[in-house]
Amino acid sequence: MTEDKAKATVTTDFEPNIVAFLCNWCSYAGADLAGTSRIQYPANVKVIRVMCSGRVNPLFVMNALQQGADGVLVSGCHPGDCHYMHGNYYARRRFTLMRDFLEYLGVEPERFRASWVSASEGSKWKEVIEEVVEGVKSVGPMDQFKRRQLNW
Amino acid sequence: MAEKILIKERLGDALGELSKFRLLAPTKSDEVVLFKQIDDPAEAYLDYLNSTVPPKRVVFPQTETLFKFRAGEPDLEEKDPSEGETVIWGLRPCDARAMAIVEKLFNWDYEDPYYLKRREETTLVGLACSSIPSVNCFCTSVGGHPFGTEGLDVLLTDLGDKYLVEVVSDKGAKVAEALSGLLADAAGADKEAAAKLSTEAEKGISRTIGTEGLQEKLLNLWENPLWKKVSAACLGCGVCTYLCPTCHCFDIQDEVEEDEGRRARMWDSCMFCEYTLHGSGHNPRPTRRERTRNRINHKYSYFPSKFGDIACVGCARCINLCPVNIDILDILQQVVEA
Amino acid sequence: MVEQLIDTDKLKKIAEEVISREDVRLLIGYRKGTFGFRMRPAFVEEVSEVGELEFTPACVNNLATYLTNYERPPLPRGTTNDTRKVAVMVKGCDSRALLQQMVELAYKRDDVIILGIPCNGVIDPAKVDKRFPEAKGPGDVKREGDNFTFSADGKTETVPAAEVIADKCTRCRYPTPLVYDELLAPEVERFADDTYEDIAGLEKRGSDEKWAYWEEKFSRCVRCYGCRNVCPMCYCDECVLDRLSPQWMRRSVDISENTAYHISRAYHLAGRCIQCGECQRVCPMDIPIMEMNRKFYKDVAEFYEYEPGTDAEEKPLLSIFSVDDKEDFIL
Repeated sequence: MTEDKAKATVTTDFEPNIVAFLCNWCSYAGADLAGTSRIQYPANVKVIRVMCSGRVNPLFVMNALQQGADGVLVSGCHPGDCHYMHGNYYARRRFTLMRDFLEYLGVEPERFRASWVSASEGSKWKEVIEEVVEGVKSVGPMDQFKRRQLNW
Repeated sequence: MAEKILIKERLGDALGELSKFRLLAPTKSDEVVLFKQIDDPAEAYLDYLNSTVPPKRVVFPQTETLFKFRAGEPDLEEKDPSEGETVIWGLRPCDARAMAIVEKLFNWDYEDPYYLKRREETTLVGLACSSIPSVNCFCTSVGGHPFGTEGLDVLLTDLGDKYLVEVVSDKGAKVAEALSGLLADAAGADKEAAAKLSTEAEKGISRTIGTEGLQEKLLNLWENPLWKKVSAACLGCGVCTYLCPTCHCFDIQDEVEEDEGRRARMWDSCMFCEYTLHGSGHNPRPTRRERTRNRINHKYSYFPSKFGDIACVGCARCINLCPVNIDILDILQQVVEA
Repeated sequence: MVEQLIDTDKLKKIAEEVISREDVRLLIGYRKGTFGFRMRPAFVEEVSEVGELEFTPACVNNLATYLTNYERPPLPRGTTNDTRKVAVMVKGCDSRALLQQMVELAYKRDDVIILGIPCNGVIDPAKVDKRFPEAKGPGDVKREGDNFTFSADGKTETVPAAEVIADKCTRCRYPTPLVYDELLAPEVERFADDTYEDIAGLEKRGSDEKWAYWEEKFSRCVRCYGCRNVCPMCYCDECVLDRLSPQWMRRSVDISENTAYHISRAYHLAGRCIQCGECQRVCPMDIPIMEMNRKFYKDVAEFYEYEPGTDAEEKPLLSIFSVDDKEDFIL
């Protein structure tokens, strides 16, 4: 454990940086609904809208962690509800493998989550974000293979 | 300066004395031997044939920052290439000779401040190949010797329970001075023993190649069918070039992160498919045939025609580590016979 | 009693028949290497070159790589590519690479002639080099019972197989090729299996410990891309690593980019790696690459009951799904 991480865990003032890839049709609308319904959720998420969870390349996850994300969330339509019929099924396979592999390398499983959030689930979105943020807080800042940029 | 003796039991003390320099020595992790900065003399692993990655990496790092820039700021922040006074302990004579050869290029039409600065502040303490060299070593064919001192500042010869210490340059004298409390004068018998080992080591080298006339001959074999044959198995990986002590090609790339970035240079390999790729999509070396030919020609023809030395020191890393047993001596033999 | 399986005369006779055929342009096999106990790939285009072909337990290379790594430079006007068949010698593990390549439609079954070699294990060149550092060779390796016999420079020595056999062979599930036109020897029955003990052991450790393990390995990587280039499944026209826009991972060598490289390499082989172990064999920096590939292999088998490179009619793992796929980590 690096000093950084130890410090942050102890003082608990660590506010994680979380990148969320949301599908256009369900999860993005769900997050939008949470917003319009004035549901409060942690402000740690940076949302990136994609057309489908199936569009999310597993390398996006790796790259986000490299570029300074402490956690990554991929969210799409519930199984069976995909706007493109099967996109989320493909995504599910990819991310199951990716998550297990990252865990195998020593990246805490809390850092990479997935969820199914529909357009009507504004309150579920809040719960998902709370759980993700709490999980990432418990493991501290990402310090495994983050770019330690411009190391002279 | 006369030859000295360093008792092996005092090796730890000697390395301790040198810790006022940035001290690098061979270390072992798994089956890989690498030159690393050592804090504890016990980390040094001197019972080795040769390091997996040549110590060229110390003066010519695989990735190095040249300068840093920031959006909105017209001034660049240049990086000081200095790493401080450095001693590389226990490198092989072939790798030291490689540095002397490559230095000619970095000191040629443009004086490379990064390479030259670190070369200048680095003292090379060599370890002669007194046990029988590896089966593929061929330094004697390309102008080197298992006990050669070209490029070195100090040469150590393992005499069983002690090292014979031979100071070759002024820089070497500085290191010897730092160790003066540990060194004793060498006896005539020690020098004789070292001379005997040297002859034996030379005899122990079993593979040879005649390099006379290769420089011109290679150019005349441009379209010879042998290139297709010798490159047929090539996978296009960078093992032969990255692990070569004389290969020195680099690429320069900008790396930008938000509003700041750096320009860095990093090793490149002529065996990679994008090495000579033009922006237009045209590649003057479109296949591994041309790339293999270039690797051999560069070492045995272009470089000697400019600088007088063959850019190969016979360390045999490329032979030992090639995934598909492409053997530079086998290729040269075919060139000689062609 | 396991014996030397391949009769060299028979191999040469078959090779001669194959390369004499009008519709065959190339036969890829093995020939003697240049030192020690090395064997190297042979590219036979003429009947006269058949004499150098040989198969011994030192034939470690997976020749399936050469079916997909050929280069296609622009052709001079008026010429066309030679599209005749290629014949290739494959061991059990290598044959699975052919199957997987066909699953991915890299080429058609009819484009290749497969000379299958039932195999009872090959040597690990690194272990052999260490055992015989002074063997000038080129020497001979034979399998006799539970031993390998090494002869070079007029000396012969017998070594227990367990000491020098390649690690992958101690986990081999398919010693006999799964696809072939001609089998060069009688079938070999499965003699080993993968228990994944080491993988499971690493899985059980804590995150910090796991990362410490991999950080040390990845930091050694010099990014020679030997593991990518030797891989029979890595044959994209333009590799994601070579692209500059977007540049997924930078050329600079540090722990971040090296880790990104190893993640992408391993992930691209999820459900595709056929366990030939070539990546780890060629790695000059001794990085346990197969421990990553086997992790995926294990997961894929556990989660999806899928084994790549065993059935040419199968679809690629990540291009299919089942509605009942595991999703226990999804919120």
